[in-house]
Amino acid sequence: MPENLKTVVGRFYREYVSSTSTKLKLIDAYLFYILMTGVIQFVYCCIVGTFPFNSFLSGFISCVGSFVLAACLRVQVNPQNKTEFGNISPERAFADFVFAHIILHLVIMNFIG
Amino acid sequence: MQKIFFGNDCFPPCLLYSRGNAAIVFCACLPLLRWVKAFSTNNYFTQVDHARFLSLFKGAQPYGSNVEMTYYSVMGYSLLEEAVPEAAKACESVKAHVQADVDSLFYATSVAEGLKPSKVTCKISLNDMEQTLQDGLSEGSPSIKIYRAVAAMVNLGIKFDQQKLMTALNEALKADDGVLSHGYAFLAASYLSGDLHKYHDLIEDVIAQADEVDDKYLQFEGGLHTTAVVIDGAYKLATKVNAAPVFTDIGDKVVKFANYFVGRKHVQSLKNAAAVLSVIKTLTTNKFHVPVAVTLVSSVSVSDKEPTVKIRISDLLGGSLGKVTVTADTARHVEDDAVIINKKQLKPAASQSSVYELDLMSVKPARGFYRIMLSLVPEAPDKHLIGTSGAEVEVKVITQVTIEQVEIGVADKEQSGPTRTTKLQYPNKAANVLEADYHQRVTMTFQIRDKAIDQPMAAHQAFIRLTNQDTKQEIFYVPEPDSSNKYRFDLDVGAKSKDFGFLTGKYTIALIVGDVVIENPLLWNVADVYLTFPEGPTQPSYTGRYSKKPEIEHMFAKPEQRPPTATSVIFTVLVLLPFIILFAIWAKLGANVGNFTLSPSAVGFHVGLGAIFGLYYCYWLNLSMFVTLKYLGVIGIPTFLFGNKLLSGIAAKRK
Repeated sequence: MPENLKTVVGRFYREYVSSTSTKLKLIDAYLFYILMTGVIQFVYCCIVGTFPFNSFLSGFISCVGSFVLAACLRVQVNPQNKTEFGNISPERAFADFVFAHIILHLVIMNFIG
Repeated sequence: MQKIFFGNDCFPPCLLYSRGNAAIVFCACLPLLRWVKAFSTNNYFTQVDHARFLSLFKGAQPYGSNVEMTYYSVMGYSLLEEAVPEAAKACESVKAHVQADVDSLFYATSVAEGLKPSKVTCKISLNDMEQTLQDGLSEGSPSIKIYRAVAAMVNLGIKFDQQKLMTALNEALKADDGVLSHGYAFLAASYLSGDLHKYHDLIEDVIAQADEVDDKYLQFEGGLHTTAVVIDGAYKLATKVNAAPVFTDIGDKVVKFANYFVGRKHVQSLKNAAAVLSVIKTLTTNKFHVPVAVTLVSSVSVSDKEPTVKIRISDLLGGSLGKVTVTADTARHVEDDAVIINKKQLKPAASQSSVYELDLMSVKPARGFYRIMLSLVPEAPDKHLIGTSGAEVEVKVITQVTIEQVEIGVADKEQSGPTRTTKLQYPNKAANVLEADYHQRVTMTFQIRDKAIDQPMAAHQAFIRLTNQDTKQEIFYVPEPDSSNKYRFDLDVGAKSKDFGFLTGKYTIALIVGDVVIENPLLWNVADVYLTFPEGPTQPSYTGRYSKKPEIEHMFAKPEQRPPTATSVIFTVLVLLPFIILFAIWAKLGANVGNFTLSPSAVGFHVGLGAIFGLYYCYWLNLSMFVTLKYLGVIGIPTFLFGNKLLSGIAAKRK
């Protein structure tokens, strides 16, 4: 079983490295970064406590929101999804991504206290 | 007493409905409910009152300069039919102080008249006396002045003009149609002769203006003096005319007036005393309406020792009405309306005249209050007597009680089963001292037994009193009777510690039983008990009640516990760490900024984005939302334009 798992994971990794475009890998790296930041904040909250709660929430929501937006960006710029988002160019997707970020962080700054 | 008549007062309004040829007639006999009250006066002017009034009238001596007071005093003596003490001095006094005005002359001449039975001839004479009195009869004088002038003239034997008096009276009544004015007019008219029905007819209207109080009294606005003058005047005028005063509900009203006057026999002023006495005498001696006084002379309490109810039948002055047949129509228990006596004739008392006896205990009445309704028939029929039926007296039948089935004991608090108890017999005290601590209960049960009917009863008042033998502090508890009238007292020593002030010691338990219908109320020291209480809280010192209290200082909310600085710093670094990892991965993936051109749109877009996030940073630190939105608009528009141009450029290049 562990042998199988190792084979599957190895195969998956090789295929990812070989078949994914650099652009998407960059976005995946960004997603990973956001995930890590969120996890560390959550661990801190578990150890120390939620006070001040609004600060914790805004930090964590920032991570979650950014992750969702980045995931959306990744979906929209993926050439394999061209049939779905044929009329949305990668630049348009990026512009949406930037605009959404400006709104999201205005709210977060308002909430951070 | 109250009776309801249906038949006699039935008023039949007939309603006629016509439908085509058929006529339907409804005759409804509507019973007009009328509460007819014909109770009688149950108080009269006793010998004690006679003596009290005598001393009151004596208070005017020595006769001073006040002719009015001398007048009331002498009038009082003659109404009481007593000789005026120091009659000669009274005469000298009024002679010396009389003045030439109508009031003073009236008082002085009336005193002179009142002294005649005392064999003192007192001649009042002043120079313009006759002229003054004649002037008093002129038009424009109020009726009181007219009355006094004419009375003084009659006293002095001066002739007066009847026609002139009538004209003056008519004018006076026109000017003032109050009841007091009418009262004096009646008195003045009683000196007239001839056809006086004009005045006699006014009586009905005036009497109708009396106000009823408590369904028991009638009085005029203006109080005792006004009421006395009006009633006195009305009956004096009626006597002169020799026709009974006519007004509605005669019996009822006369009894209520009589109640009022007899009820006010405790007046203190000479003027009111003379007025009350005068009107009571008028009500007693007139030949039209004489109220009967039915008075309870025995004690209100009736028991085996005093089984008879004694009732005096008299007029208002306590005079005998001759031989009278007195019948107790009913005797009714006030609480449950049980009738115990029906149409029973009372026996004349052997020792006292005018007193009649009813042996109430012969019918073995239950304890409680009874209303006895009486009616009387004089042997010599006298239709002028008022209040001969429906007289009511209230008595109570009292009974002896015993205390039985007394048990006292101490039980554990938790124990629910039967406790070990001591039986006690009234009036013996328990031989042993009971002991109870705060884990225990003291219980006591007893029954109050009505000796007469040999049944348990509930007394109106039953108390358990505990007295600390050292401090004499007392505390009372109320034992409650259950449905079978068995009393139970349960003292949870621990729970009631506070009532006792945590004062451990020897207490005396006493039982107190009383009721208005119990002849032998009792106080019985039942037992001694040693009560042990837990240690009480220390009593707050009352002396320090007004001393300065500690100052209250404002407390700010305490800040939440913060983590140690080291932890915060470590996590700050940890949070920043993925950012470095991000760049490491990007570098490994071969990301670059080679595509970046220094075109104004590219520079503007990136600078704009940076500025927006810088603005957010400022917003976090010190800006308000509105200021931030204003700046955001300023920065956002060029950034949007640059971004639009840049991205569309990149897209165009890609194609």
